[in-house]
Amino acid sequence: MSESEPPDRLARLGKRLDQARAKRDGEAAATRDEPALQQGMAVGLRIGVELVVAIVVATALGWAIDRWLGTSPWLTIVLFFLGVAAGMVNVYRALTGVKMAVGYRRPNAPDAGRQRANDKWDDEE
Amino acid sequence: MAIELHPLQQFEIQRIVPLQIGGIDISFTNSALLMTIAVGLITALTVLGTRKAALVPGRWQSIAEMSYEFVADLVDTNAGHGARQFLPFVYTLFMFILFANLLGLVPWSFTVTSHIIVTFALAIVVFIGVTIIGFVKHGAHFLRLFVPEGVPAVLLVLLVPIELLSYFIRPFTLAIRLFANMLAGHTMLAIFGGFAASVGLLAIFPVGINIALVGLELLVALLQAYVFAILTCLYLRDALHLH
Repeated sequence: MSESEPPDRLARLGKRLDQARAKRDGEAAATRDEPALQQGMAVGLRIGVELVVAIVVATALGWAIDRWLGTSPWLTIVLFFLGVAAGMVNVYRALTGVKMAVGYRRPNAPDAGRQRANDKWDDEE
Repeated sequence: MAIELHPLQQFEIQRIVPLQIGGIDISFTNSALLMTIAVGLITALTVLGTRKAALVPGRWQSIAEMSYEFVADLVDTNAGHGARQFLPFVYTLFMFILFANLLGLVPWSFTVTSHIIVTFALAIVVFIGVTIIGFVKHGAHFLRLFVPEGVPAVLLVLLVPIELLSYFIRPFTLAIRLFANMLAGHTMLAIFGGFAASVGLLAIFPVGINIALVGLELLVALLQAYVFAILTCLYLRDALHLH
């Protein structure tokens, strides 16, 4: 690379970058499945643990409080079912593109819609 | 031929420099050594990689810039607007987990992230941090996060505990996911390695499986760092933009 003028060099670099980008985009179109696969794997790895941990943690919590308050076995039982519900809620939200949001509100709810409009966060799943 | 298999031996903590202060064991262990190496490598990559910042980046500058752009993109798309100020935190988290995972794959090294106390410490920092950010940003209004909208009051008795629970299990899922993946992968590698040592010439099969497994582990190392970072971003979004 032995261009004469500095601005010229920059211009040429810009041109080459554009060419390279165009070429890369052309190639990317051919292998578009790859990111989708990676996204899928990331989601899959995330979901697996969600349900199990919710149940285990909730039941352990119930057991601990039972021991503390001497109310065995009632809180263990109640929290087990709450744990199952929480785990399912988390998995459902993760899969429907709501991610891990606690307290999710519908997009058409009056105050949520406004925020959702400028967020472009769930375009990847 | 009596070859003993100790697939879990690799996870043992060994004291390198024994140290006791006030009855508390703060020895410099192999775990601490690997964390130090990870932090050192990341610092070297980012500092040396951007020292001679050229318009056309060299190899190291490319790696440093690509990792930065990757995480910046992650934060922008997942944490919503106004989350850029947390980019340094997410970047540090992502790079630390990634390097800890990858260094663990080096033979005779040690996988820091295969210890649940390490991953839990990382997760609880994220959890407490996000909760504080939520309260600072929204005050008591943040508690609205646990009250679903448009639900009859009777059902709230059931739904609020579920929402609370699903919020409080976040650090556990975050910690256990990373820990379990690293532990399982490395145990599997060690078991197939043990097979190879005990079956003589047939060792070619377990070794072949192990080669494939190392490839898989590389993927898992990257994906788990990615998942940890992406979930941190999603939790941040919850705290920043109350739905």
